[in-house]
Amino acid sequence: MEKKRLGALAVITILLAAFPGLNPEVYYLSFMFSVFMYVVLASSWNFIGGYAGYLSFGHAAFFGIGAFATAKMAELFALTPPLAIFASLPAAALAALVALVIGYPCLKIRGPYFAVVTLCFAFVVDLAVKNIEWLGGAEGLWMKTMDIPEQLSRTIMYELMLLLMAITLTVAWWLGRSRLGAGLRAVRADEEVAETMAIPTARLKIQAFVLSAFFPGIAGGLFAYYLTYIHPDVVFNINISILIVLMAMFGGGGTWLGPIIGAVLLTVVNEGLSTFAQAEIARIIYGALFIVVTIFMPNGIIDFFRKKNGRG
Amino acid sequence: MMGMVYALLGVGFSLTWGVMHVIHISHAAFGLLGAYLAYSLLQHFGVDPVVSAAVSAPLLFLAACGIYQLLIKPITKAREIIVASMILTFGLAIILENVMVLIWKADPRIMTPTYASGALIVGPFYFQHPHLVGFGMSLVGITAVYLFLKKTYTGMAVRAAWQQPEAAQLYGVNLYRISMITFALAVSTAGAGGIGLALLNSFEPHSHNLWLIYLFLVVIVGGVGNIVGTALAGLIIGVITGLSMAFLPFQWVNLVTFGLLMVFLIFRPHGLFKQVV
Repeated sequence: MEKKRLGALAVITILLAAFPGLNPEVYYLSFMFSVFMYVVLASSWNFIGGYAGYLSFGHAAFFGIGAFATAKMAELFALTPPLAIFASLPAAALAALVALVIGYPCLKIRGPYFAVVTLCFAFVVDLAVKNIEWLGGAEGLWMKTMDIPEQLSRTIMYELMLLLMAITLTVAWWLGRSRLGAGLRAVRADEEVAETMAIPTARLKIQAFVLSAFFPGIAGGLFAYYLTYIHPDVVFNINISILIVLMAMFGGGGTWLGPIIGAVLLTVVNEGLSTFAQAEIARIIYGALFIVVTIFMPNGIIDFFRKKNGRG
Repeated sequence: MMGMVYALLGVGFSLTWGVMHVIHISHAAFGLLGAYLAYSLLQHFGVDPVVSAAVSAPLLFLAACGIYQLLIKPITKAREIIVASMILTFGLAIILENVMVLIWKADPRIMTPTYASGALIVGPFYFQHPHLVGFGMSLVGITAVYLFLKKTYTGMAVRAAWQQPEAAQLYGVNLYRISMITFALAVSTAGAGGIGLALLNSFEPHSHNLWLIYLFLVVIVGGVGNIVGTALAGLIIGVITGLSMAFLPFQWVNLVTFGLLMVFLIFRPHGLFKQVV
């Protein structure tokens, strides 16, 4: 069963990788790019939020740190575009480092308090970046564009984000089966008991938090390249943080498939609605969707179907 | 001044969180709805905001009863009610926000009652009349909630449900009914608080996001479910933002506020004050 899933992932990835070969319109490439990005964000959020049950409402901060660090490094070292994409790796390392520093005190507090402290953290980072002139302040940063046709550059970004998604999902798959994952599930079920059973909860939580900050960091870097212009309001947007949480929980937190389903579904629905309906009406339907799904599937979509198949 | 109004908004938020374990993301959106209703009443019929607070509070109370029965009650059996309620009320907040955009457009509004330009000067202090009205309204609102919880039978049942839900049920307290009343009460105080806030600041359909952050701030500093604590926390935060506004450039004010909240959460996650029920 589990092996099959990984196989399915590989097949789908290869098929998706071949997609630009069909010479599709740029719109579809961009759209798929954002779907992949949200899968990356929701899946990596799931490491800490889903498995360990620590709802981080500040994941946009790591995304934004990745984006800004990449842009700044590209500017400082005058990196040319192909090379500059690799700047997203050290940028992600920075995001992970921040997660380590922040996670150490914050992961001690639980439940809704953790959610609020991470929310505050995202605000603080956002406001700090806006107020630091060196990072572009409220004006944001520009990046050099690739000197190649749009179709090609979009294809490159598409493939890179797809690669990142495949890596993230493989890591997520590994995590679900590893000791780390098992430990995190124990933390979620009952932290005191886990501690008594000699599970090093504090260390596991930090590891998961750092890991779950790393991938959004890379995604942020790629996103910066994709937009070529970044602004704190875009990459630190509080709605991204909330959206990540909702996507993961919507599909089903703590499962491998849940965040994928949630991210794909919500991105597609949001995009579809904004194409076919007036903006406000679209948002209202979008909001109603959250309500309907929570009422009928309060534990996420995955859980709902598992129960239906009698495997709850 | 502002702190007290946030406290009025916060009281309801704190109650739903404490009693029902529901984090009500759309709480501030309901406040905003109250503010818009009052705004329209003032614009078209010249109704004073204080009067419209008295009108909209029972209306919101009834609306909230309906929302509780239709939306909140079904999710009380969820594995993690806090998460489910956050997702659900987030959806509700989106709906409310966009309905308000449709009705009142996205422009910022400001409430201008007849006494808007008046001010009371006491020594070196300068109080604008609308601010005083907002402050007074909040004080009355919070006192009313406090008395309701302390003195009435229903209020005692609410407190019982909050401390020991199972035990309260054994003593014949209907948890669903109590939750409904709590929720409805919270929403109607949110409406009044929203009007109070609208007397102090301009507002637009997206304002509720920022209001919500302040709500979290007030409630957590005061301690979840602690009415007196929430009121005090509101005052303290009002003073802190006031001071930082006086001494710091404007864009740093929020940074200081959120930074403080973070530090606070790390060291005193259960509120500044001892839990008094």
